[in-house]
Amino acid sequence: MLPIDQNTILNFLFYSFFYLLFAVPLTLSYRTTKVINFAHANFITYGAYVAVFLNGLLGNKSLLLASLLAFLVSGTLAIVSYFFVFKPLEKRGASMSLIMISSMGLWIMYNYLLYMLADIAHFFSGVNFVSYGRILYTDVPEITIGSLRLSSGFIAVCATAVGMSLFFYIFLNKTSLGKAMRAVADNPVLAEISGIQRDKVITFTWLITGGVVGVGGAIWTSFSGTVTPTTGDAMILQVFTIAFIGGLVSLLRTGIGAFVIALIENVGISLLNAWFGVPTSFRTFLTFVALLVILIAFPPLGAAGGLPFRYRKKRGGAK
Amino acid sequence: MTQQTGKSMFSVQFIAAVLVALIAGVAIGFAASGLFAPPQQQPQQPAGGQPSVSKKVIQIGFTLPLTGELSSIGKIWEKVAQMAIEDLNKEVQAYGFNVEFKAVILDDGTSVEKAVSNVQTLAQQGIKVIIGPAASSQVKAVKSFADSNQIVIISPSSTAPTLAIPNDFIFRTVGSDAGQAKVLAALAFQEGARKVIVFHRNDEYGNAFADFFAKEFAQLGGKAVDMPYQAGLSDYAAEVNSLASKVQSEKADAVVLIAFDTDGGNILSHAAESNVLSSVRWFLSEGPHGAAELKTPAVGAFAAKVKLLGTRPLFVANPLYEQFKQNLKQRFGVDATVFCDNLYDAVMLAGWAILRAGSNDGNAIRNALVEVAKHYYGVSGWTIFDSAGDKANQDYGVWAIVKTGAGYDFKDVGVFERGQIVFTEEPYP
Repeated sequence: MLPIDQNTILNFLFYSFFYLLFAVPLTLSYRTTKVINFAHANFITYGAYVAVFLNGLLGNKSLLLASLLAFLVSGTLAIVSYFFVFKPLEKRGASMSLIMISSMGLWIMYNYLLYMLADIAHFFSGVNFVSYGRILYTDVPEITIGSLRLSSGFIAVCATAVGMSLFFYIFLNKTSLGKAMRAVADNPVLAEISGIQRDKVITFTWLITGGVVGVGGAIWTSFSGTVTPTTGDAMILQVFTIAFIGGLVSLLRTGIGAFVIALIENVGISLLNAWFGVPTSFRTFLTFVALLVILIAFPPLGAAGGLPFRYRKKRGGAK
Repeated sequence: MTQQTGKSMFSVQFIAAVLVALIAGVAIGFAASGLFAPPQQQPQQPAGGQPSVSKKVIQIGFTLPLTGELSSIGKIWEKVAQMAIEDLNKEVQAYGFNVEFKAVILDDGTSVEKAVSNVQTLAQQGIKVIIGPAASSQVKAVKSFADSNQIVIISPSSTAPTLAIPNDFIFRTVGSDAGQAKVLAALAFQEGARKVIVFHRNDEYGNAFADFFAKEFAQLGGKAVDMPYQAGLSDYAAEVNSLASKVQSEKADAVVLIAFDTDGGNILSHAAESNVLSSVRWFLSEGPHGAAELKTPAVGAFAAKVKLLGTRPLFVANPLYEQFKQNLKQRFGVDATVFCDNLYDAVMLAGWAILRAGSNDGNAIRNALVEVAKHYYGVSGWTIFDSAGDKANQDYGVWAIVKTGAGYDFKDVGVFERGQIVFTEEPYP
């Protein structure tokens, strides 16, 4: 008998959709901007906290409203990071690793900023924001099919993840801005020579990267049992793992990676547990074993050395 | 061209920004040195009641979980620490000591690494007594540094029995879980549980507690099935799901959850959605007590359904504790949660031990601490240490989550007496 029940499958899908929402924008932002951005974790957490603050301070019960605001806040956060940190550093010829380290600095700074905001909000409202329970939204329906109950969080994340995938597909293939984005990702110099305003494209990339991830964060509050200012941090390694499966280049492979990692983390561990008695606390361990196996077995997918030639060259080249 | 002008514009702005930051920094530095520098001038002066113009300032270090997995109650502890220092100052000054204690509070993020670096930072500032860290895994990590540098560590909340080691610099103002495991086992057994899944954190605290629980529960005639989970995850949906299948396959009649705040709250809120887990009893350790996540309607309703009960170290029927609870609510607007009383007494003991030692020597303070604790009765009761430096006499209470006028809240509903749980009131009608 397979030890897989309905809930395991549901959890697998839940995580797949969340990983899609978090990892695909990471790949998109890396291939367009060439910044390995650790502050990506903050986009998740800030998105979630927009929803938390709206609920805790104003009693908001609309996930749509929370998501829209989360898009704006996380998107703005991404643009702010770009304008005040990544762009100035890049202009002064900072290396990629330096920019990456600066993003780690930003990550920690944004974290503590959020703790401060939570403290201030706590001071005025008396509500504990450092660790916030699940939020029940009223504007997303619950669907019951037979004995299968799909929670409103599931409906929301499913619809959003599918919507995002469609949006990216149409946007990148059919619109001129999307094509420009791909051109910048492919060859920034050539793109600039052919009249694409690189700066504009990159700013826009940051907006949708932060925004989409922020929406994912907002929806996370309808699924997760507790939201803390470190919610995104605990997930960022998985999200990077998935993006690495896509080689930080291919959106499609990143999407597949999201399902693979979610499958290993949910179905894989319960099979191992049932058949071999592997403790379920090995779940995270398994994720990274999977990462290493994938990197070693299929090098072209991940790892800097395995990237297509054009990505191996030093960023920009124009001085 | 455009890039060139952009570049020079930027550098002008950058220099301006640096200048502004520098001026602001210098100003803040001056203000801060004005505030903090004078007290630090005579740290070596012996303690005592000699009248002098300025008060002698003594620093007590704190490493508290203001962020991370214990942050929900860590935030409350910060207030307790503040209150304890204020009260301590009033008390020692009333006795005629011309000293002032100052708290140096650092955040350790409930992480082992940060706790170690905090203790080292505090030690470098010449601080010899440090309150915290909170978690047993953290205490274990700072132990060797504390022992070799003679830094007195007083943890108000580390309960792992594995850390009950005599003659070290680690003191704990709370009884070890060897005691609590017995109480939790008695509670589960008395409530009718015979086969339980012990779902616990895979760390020092969780593993040791689970071991002791299994032993005690077996002695009573029950059977405990061990099931650790990895802590520090963003969510525990998958773990809770595995727990549900385990409960089904083992045909267990209860779950014993040994958790901290955020993980505990998370697990309970996912468990509330599972039919299997809603149909067995739940018994909790002291870790999640006081966490705000447990007061949400979903968890509250779940608690009522599964008649959730927990144990926690509590010196029952102590008028000082009642007064302490009132004070804390009045002055800081927060409810006293688990270990608040132990933390408060840890600060008091630290202060008096430093005065009694009369010097800034770690060894002298350690010896003084043992003596002071013998004669101190505080909000957590009689503080005397056993040979391992843990609270010798620890009582335990039983808590539940009950519905009140303003939603759900924690309530102490029983005590442990002579091997039995005595309920002082009916938690779930």
